[in-house]
Amino acid sequence: MKKLLLTTLTVFAFSAQADYLDGAHNWNTGSSDPFKAAITAAETDYATALAASMAWRDTGKMIKEAHKLQTSGDTAAALAVAKAAHNQAVNALSQAAVAGSAGPRF
Amino acid sequence: MKKLITAVVSLGLMIGTASAGTDVDADRKAFVGHFKSIKPNVEFADYTIGVYAYDEGSRDQFEEILDGIPPYEEAVEKGEAEFEKFGLAKCTALADPAAARLAHPYYDDAAGTVVTLEGTIRKCYTEQTGKKMAPMKGKVARISAWISDQAAGEKINVKVESDGAKAAYERGKSTFYAKRGQFNMSCADCHVYNAGKKARADILSPALGHTTHVPMYRAKWGGIGTLHRRYGGCYKNMRAKPLMAQSPEYRDMEFFHQAMSNGLEISADRYRK
Repeated sequence: MKKLLLTTLTVFAFSAQADYLDGAHNWNTGSSDPFKAAITAAETDYATALAASMAWRDTGKMIKEAHKLQTSGDTAAALAVAKAAHNQAVNALSQAAVAGSAGPRF
Repeated sequence: MKKLITAVVSLGLMIGTASAGTDVDADRKAFVGHFKSIKPNVEFADYTIGVYAYDEGSRDQFEEILDGIPPYEEAVEKGEAEFEKFGLAKCTALADPAAARLAHPYYDDAAGTVVTLEGTIRKCYTEQTGKKMAPMKGKVARISAWISDQAAGEKINVKVESDGAKAAYERGKSTFYAKRGQFNMSCADCHVYNAGKKARADILSPALGHTTHVPMYRAKWGGIGTLHRRYGGCYKNMRAKPLMAQSPEYRDMEFFHQAMSNGLEISADRYRK
């Protein structure tokens, strides 16, 4: 009975984690400041995309814009732009992941 | 998760470096065959004039421009004067300009990198003057255009022989076909699969023959620019961040891009819309 309980709890714990870490998960730095978490995630992934020569055109500008908005006190807009920049960087990394095997369709 | 992404990205890049099974001739035949299938009435040799081979009206305009004084003529003459002024003939690689155009791009096994004509011009300029030369337009484009003119009528013949060359070619091929930027597009999406179709008011040019008339004069630029300048423009259009002109990625892509036009004549008619 104990074994069954333990197994059930373990499976539940793994499922809960898997559900929590869905595709939209923002793997932030653990900061309680949502802007700081979003902008750090954006900057880190943008740097990886740049290193892979697969960054998107406007992500850098968006990161700068997010910082500017945050400084001016418009925290809601700053957070939205930081999240959008992070989303761009994540998509760029998805492209980078398959770029090396790209080839013709004919 | 980040580690996973990094690992996947690295794996993707590593796949691109694999050179086993590289068959440039088979790639080129399939490439040319694709264009033959979408435009069966266009002769292979006509791809030296690019998009003008596809549209009669545009071809008439192109020929009218060439019949007058082409807008790049003065720049090409200036390129010749600059070639002499800076003593570029003293560099062995440029001593015979026509041969220099035909020899580039090539893979330098010792350096482990693709060498482009513009790369050689810039290196020689620095050796002769002690100064640096901008890589996209201005002197480099004018001098490169004049050098290319000396080889007009000769056929492009890029050689991809060593393992290093094959790996560079494969990397260039992947760069050409990889989707990038916010529009999730590749170079091939416009210039291979949709060549001849319209994007807004413009007809998309075929990638076959692109490198026969570079550096090119573009009406949009109002001047001459290198192939890498054009790569940068296309990247921006795809909403991808352009790479530096003469970056290893662009040099590899040029290596592939030029090899696909092997057998086509180099042209001095470098006007493009």
